[in-house]
Amino acid sequence: MKSIRVRLFILLSLFAGTTLTLSWVTYSSFKALMDSRRQLELSYTIRDEVEQVGALKPGTELYRRMQSYGPLLQPDRRRQELTDMLQAAAGNHAAQLNVRHKTFVKNEAEYQRFMREEMNYLESKLLYYGSLALFTMLFGFVALQLFISRSVVRPLHVLSRKMVDFLHDRYTYQFHVPSNDEVGQMQATFNSLAQRVISNMEQLKTLDQAKSEFLSIASHELRTPLTSIKGSLSLMRTGVVGKMNEMADNLLTIAENETDRLIRLINDILDLAKIEARKLPLHQDWHSFTDLVKTSLDSLQGLAGQADVHLQCDSMPAMEAYMDSDRVQQVLTNLLSNAIKFSPAGQTVHVQCEINDRNELLVTVRDHGRGIAPEDQEAIFQKFRQATSVSNPLVKGTGLGLAIAKALVDQHGGMIGVRSTPGEGSSFYFTLPEWRYNQQRPALPGTEKVA
Amino acid sequence: MRILLAEDDPNISIIAKISLEKLGGFDVTVVSDGEAALNEALTQKYDLILLDEMMPKMNGLRVCQEYKARCPSPKPVIFLSAKSQESDIREFTDNGTGFIPKPFDPRKLPEQIAALLKGVA
Repeated sequence: MKSIRVRLFILLSLFAGTTLTLSWVTYSSFKALMDSRRQLELSYTIRDEVEQVGALKPGTELYRRMQSYGPLLQPDRRRQELTDMLQAAAGNHAAQLNVRHKTFVKNEAEYQRFMREEMNYLESKLLYYGSLALFTMLFGFVALQLFISRSVVRPLHVLSRKMVDFLHDRYTYQFHVPSNDEVGQMQATFNSLAQRVISNMEQLKTLDQAKSEFLSIASHELRTPLTSIKGSLSLMRTGVVGKMNEMADNLLTIAENETDRLIRLINDILDLAKIEARKLPLHQDWHSFTDLVKTSLDSLQGLAGQADVHLQCDSMPAMEAYMDSDRVQQVLTNLLSNAIKFSPAGQTVHVQCEINDRNELLVTVRDHGRGIAPEDQEAIFQKFRQATSVSNPLVKGTGLGLAIAKALVDQHGGMIGVRSTPGEGSSFYFTLPEWRYNQQRPALPGTEKVA
Repeated sequence: MRILLAEDDPNISIIAKISLEKLGGFDVTVVSDGEAALNEALTQKYDLILLDEMMPKMNGLRVCQEYKARCPSPKPVIFLSAKSQESDIREFTDNGTGFIPKPFDPRKLPEQIAALLKGVA
């Protein structure tokens, strides 16, 4: 099959050629008809005027008018007849003039009869070709429309539908190329493109699977030996293997603490990797946010007591949030434990829950610690980034807590951030977009002090 | 008190054995797969059976079900498992006396067992 361009060119040329030819024939018929009518009218006029042959004398008005008609007459034979007659009139041969006059009048009458027939013929010819031209034009128009619709518009529409399907992951492997014209080439190109995207996607899937496998193997293979090390060390500490001297005890403490740290680090890294790979699906449902805050505060009593820091809930309307409560609790616990770790002894950590102006549930954890320098405020949410030089012995995190919190809040569709003035303390906050007031449960009292 | 411990990881079983013998004062026998555990449980007299969930040949839940089906007067069964989903935990508590999550703290293992057994008695 030829390309659309060539086919369109041929079709258009044919159409234009036929229409032009027919129009020209029609026009020329029309012109001939007009000419014939003029000649016929002229012939009638002349015949009427030369009725009185006696008045045809040189010098008269009639004679001059007759002379002026001469060049207009067609064909030449008629002009000759008229000239002959006028010459006869000028020659003053009455008999000759009479003969010429008779011949002329007879010829004109014959010419008129012939011309009327000719005009009838021309009229029907004009009608015929005119209608033909009109019909051809109409037919050509329809054919052109049909051609463009069939070979351009419809295939393009099909292709665009396929593209939309592909966009919505509904691509079937039917790489059908309708023709080898321009649209067909486009379809073929699209097919190649789709094939490449699909193969890339499959490659990605394989990689993703490899990553998941690595995660599960790593988490098992790394945790198993650590569990044994940790168990052995803690058993040795109980004294079941016999009493140990101070040096051995110190070494055991180091080994135990570092093992703990390693376990935390591995758990955090694997957690974060899973969250980032979306391998940790959220179990979202409506849960009481009030209970969640209470549980988090309760679970951190021990740490707060150790650091001599108060925990206080400033405002807690009875509400529920659409969330994975374990995960949100992880976020809140992380923020709270950070606040406790960075608070000086005797200070208070405030928790506040409210609805912000964007109609989100906003949770704020405020401490009176050293605060965070503006240049560190974004960095602390990145992996393995802690604010510079931590001297507090309680602070020995993995540097992943906030990164995990951020990933979890992101997954819930919320935002996490910090506002801080160095020297005055920090306010960490996060939002949850889906919440509602809970009528059944009573709110926590406005203030709750936990030593 | 005689305890049968079924655990395929030798390190963990040594740690658990030491913990239970030295700290809990129990008499512990260790087996390393599900079939051996079922044989031991049916042929020898034990007061408590500790089953790891993931074991070669037969998993802990199946061992427990077979044991309860075949033994006329079954002893308490406690599961050890790293599985922490609610549905898993429910399956453990439905089939056996209780469940101790892994990794366990060897210093507290005897206490945990005592607490679970107290609930039965």
